[in-house]
Parts: sequence; structure tokens; C-alpha cells
Amino acid sequence: MTGPTLVVGEVHDVGISDATKEAVGVAQGLSGKGNVVGFLAGSTARAAAAGFGQLGVGRVHVAEDARLDTATGAVLAQLVAAVADSVSAELVLVGGATFGRDLVARLGIRWNAAVATGVTGLQRVEAGFEVRRPVFGGRATETRRLEGAHAAVAVRPHAFPAASESPAEVAVTPVSLEAIPAPLWAPQRLGVEVAVRGTGPSLGDATIVVSGGRGVRAAENFHLIEELAASLGAGVGASRAVTDAGWRPANFQVGQTGRTVSPQLYVAVGISGAIQHLVGMVSSRVIVAINSDATAPIFKVADYGIVGDLFQIVPALTQEVRRARGT
Amino acid sequence: MEIVVCVKPVPDAETRLRASADGTTLDIEAVKFVLAGYDESAVEQALLLKEATPGTKVHVVSAGPPPRTEEVLRASLALGCDSATWAEMPPGVAPDPVAAARALARAVASVPHELVLCGKNAGDDEAGVVAGALGELLGVPDFSAVLDLRWDATKSRLRFQRSTEAGTESWEAPLPCVIALQQAWNDPRTAKLPMILKSRKLPIAKVAPEAAPTTVGGSRPTKFELPPPRTGAKLIEFKTPDEAAQKLVKALKEEAKVFP
Repeated sequence: MTGPTLVVGEVHDVGISDATKEAVGVAQGLSGKGNVVGFLAGSTARAAAAGFGQLGVGRVHVAEDARLDTATGAVLAQLVAAVADSVSAELVLVGGATFGRDLVARLGIRWNAAVATGVTGLQRVEAGFEVRRPVFGGRATETRRLEGAHAAVAVRPHAFPAASESPAEVAVTPVSLEAIPAPLWAPQRLGVEVAVRGTGPSLGDATIVVSGGRGVRAAENFHLIEELAASLGAGVGASRAVTDAGWRPANFQVGQTGRTVSPQLYVAVGISGAIQHLVGMVSSRVIVAINSDATAPIFKVADYGIVGDLFQIVPALTQEVRRARGT
Repeated sequence: MEIVVCVKPVPDAETRLRASADGTTLDIEAVKFVLAGYDESAVEQALLLKEATPGTKVHVVSAGPPPRTEEVLRASLALGCDSATWAEMPPGVAPDPVAAARALARAVASVPHELVLCGKNAGDDEAGVVAGALGELLGVPDFSAVLDLRWDATKSRLRFQRSTEAGTESWEAPLPCVIALQQAWNDPRTAKLPMILKSRKLPIAKVAPEAAPTTVGGSRPTKFELPPPRTGAKLIEFKTPDEAAQKLVKALKEEAKVFP
């Protein structure tokens, strides 16, 4: 009999985040439906525990304290490691990019766990687990063995389907904060500003991304990219040429020094395809390139290419997409 | 103030990736190693803090095999770091970010340290685990995905912004702490020739590996795979922009099946 999997949830609105629901799905597949325990921290943790219940997770450990809404990973890891020991967990699973990575990094030491982040595949093997994860900006995939008594894994958002609904009664176990040393509460979060972006989905969440590059020529032309993105319900990205020129803020940047995205569809407009950009998007499922230069390297990685003037092609494409979608 | 920067050598971005003979990892034959992109930002940030606060020392540390580890340490010295320490890895330990953090922690402990900086992650394994593991080993808070870093008015606490799922968070934290930097928001300086020449002769302190690993378990790579090569774009032929648009939408709908 193996120990349960502990899923550390992110509180989101009045429930748990999509990434957490995905982690629950993975945990139930590995450990069996009844062998998954939830953990939540924050001012509304107890109410959010119902989100676990909806997915059939009936045991939830809850650290309800407003200070935890802005606590650092050091505090969270200490609580999670204690709960993991108390339920004799063999695996801690967590969804979410930054949140998950920060937590499992700490658990590698505090809980003496084998650690993997950004995981897109996870299975049980003899004496541990085996994970698959993209490396080199999605240009390669590595398989890794996690050995030892404990493993802590951060799963990549959107890599797994969410657990299916199967409501269960929730038994909540409160978690004490008494053991947290005072200095760990010293850092203060002063505020949070929701990222500046258009009305579409964020880059990380989007299943379609439309990015503009140097070929757009000026900030005042970037609306062409945004309109095409809006017609597709896509997130908006940019190459470094665009963010360096200040046409759009740095959080739009896709590539080596920006974000790595792997949507179902990536549309590169006026982007030549320097390697620094390619490493941020080459693992997208289908890539479309629109560029006036037929020799641009972007056409080597694209599935579909249109060699033409983006100022003519993009408005026509936006119209055609709207027509095809009936919007 | 005493700042420590952790750096890692990674294959240059232009590297053609290939699996090693046993298929478990990257073939590093003929690969050029460079300072990881975010680590370069961390070095730059440390040097900016040094310039802003007289009396500040910047120590650079790295853990890994020769000769590339020594090369990135010398590159950091050439940029203006004051001392370099090389943490040797225990023999036979597979590349694992937690093991690297343990080695780095011993190097950090060997020099004065109030603020520890590193890059958010390295462009090869993209684990992003070192900052959190180091924080735990040193018993101090860590902050990942930090965008910019400055002193508060009293120069006793750091103020910075982080890019997280929630958006851009503003933070204030006392020392000591570990900070993992994201984004080449600062244009890292390049080394000047006299400094490069001088850095070749500077001493590099060595920290020996743990005699016997005190932990069991960990992770090790077992397979390195490349996606099938892309064959190049299917170019859409057209006479008018409208025709190009129609053909593309049709292909995305019927062939690629990714049209929303």
C-alpha cells in the first residue's frame, strides 16, 4: 500500500484554480480516487475546500489565515511538509508555474524530496516516478527518474485534463501556524497590479497566440495584431524587437528572455524567427508565419506560411476569421 | 553589503541539440557554454547595487564540472565581480537541481553573504529550483521572478517587483534573502579586454564536495528526445490578400483542425 498524494491547491475566486484541478486529475490517476488529500492556505481556504470536494477529494487540510495570502514560499513549504508527513504522503503535486515551482524547490530540501518542475507527463515506475518535461525552451524533452521516499512535482498548466466532477463530502483538518518562526513573516507584499494586457486571455493561458514583430514597423500599427488576436480569441505576444522599441511592454515578449508558450496555434506576424524568439514558441502545435521575406527563418519552423505584406494580409485575415466564426 | 551571485554555464542558444550516445542527456561534444541569460542579469544587478552602495562586495559562485564552470566564473570576474568560488560536485551525481543547490549552498556559506542573487532559471534544464532550495538550506526567504530591485529609503530593506500568476507584485523584504531575477530588463554590460586578461590570472577558491552524500534519492535524467524535425512551411499561394486569408482559414479548419 503506497501513501497518498497530497495536492497543494491555489485558491482562486471562491474555489480552486484550473491548474489545481489538473493536478487533482493527475493525482487520482496515480494514487486512486480515494487516495488523494488536498491542502489549501489563505484567508478563504476553508470555503475553497469545497472545490476539492467537487472533484471527489474528501480530505482537505486547511491553513486559514489572512497572512498566508501574501506569505512567501518558505512559510508554505513548512506547512506542506508537515501535512505531507502527517498523512504519510509519498508525492506532493502542485499546479501553476511560479507557485508550483517555488514550493517544490523548497520541498526538495525540507521534505527531502526528488523534485521536478514544468512536468507534462508523470507515471509510477519501480522505486519512484518518471516524469517528462520540456527543456531548452521546448526544443527537446527529457525523461527523468525521481527516486527516494518522497517526490514533489509541479505540473505544467494545461498539460493535463482537469479532474472530472464527482462530489464528495469534505472533512476539513485545520493546520496550525504556530511552528512558523517569526522572521519568515517579515517580508511584506505591498500590492499587486494585474498585468497590463488586452481584453484577451493572458499569454500563458491562451490556446491561440498571435505575435507581432519588427515587421509591424511602429507602435501605432500594433492594433492590427491585436485585432487579429481578438478575432481568434487569442492572447497577444511580441518579439523582442517590439518590446525593446517600447511598442508594447516587456510582459508581451515571447522568447529566450521573455515567456515560453506552447499553444495549439501560434501566428507569427512580421517576425523573422531569430533563434532567441524560436526557443519561446517552437513547441506550439501548429505555427503560422506571415512575412514579406520568403527567406525568413520563421518559415522553416512554420506549418503554414504566407509570403506577403502583413499590412494587406492581416486585415483580410481578421475579416475572414470573423466571417468564419460568425462574429 | 556582501552580495553572492550564483551562476551556471549553459549551452549557447545557437547550439544544435543532439542526444548523447546513451540517449540520456544532451551531447555536449563541441558545445559552447556561456553564462545563462538570467544569471547574466543577476550579475548585472549585483554590479549595479555595488556601484550604488560603496563598500559592497560581489562574490560569484558556481557548481559544476570543469572546464565550463571555471570559464563562467572567470567571465563573471571579467565583468567586475570581486571573488569567485567553485563548488565541486560529488563524483557520480547525476545533474539534479537540488543537488546543485546543495553544492552552491556550501559555496555561499564559504563567503560573507547578506543577499544571494541568481537567475530565475537556466535555459537548459529550465528547472528554476535553485533559489527556493538555497533559501531553505540557508534558512532565509526567497523570491522568484523578480523584475527590478532597489533599496528603500533607509537602505535596510529591499524593494522589488515580481511577475507572478497574480500579475506584478510589489514587495519589501529585509536581508538576508535569496532573489531569483527574471528578464534581461537591464542591458547587461560586456567585459572589457583588460578585465578579461586580468580575470584569467585571478584566483578561484574551491569548495570540496560532501564526502558522502547525506541524502538518498533525487532525480536523474534517463532520456533526451528531440521532436521530429519540422519540414518547413506549406506556403499558401494567392493572388489577393482575401484569397490568402480564405485559404489559410480553410487549412486551419479542415487540415490542422485548430480553428476556434
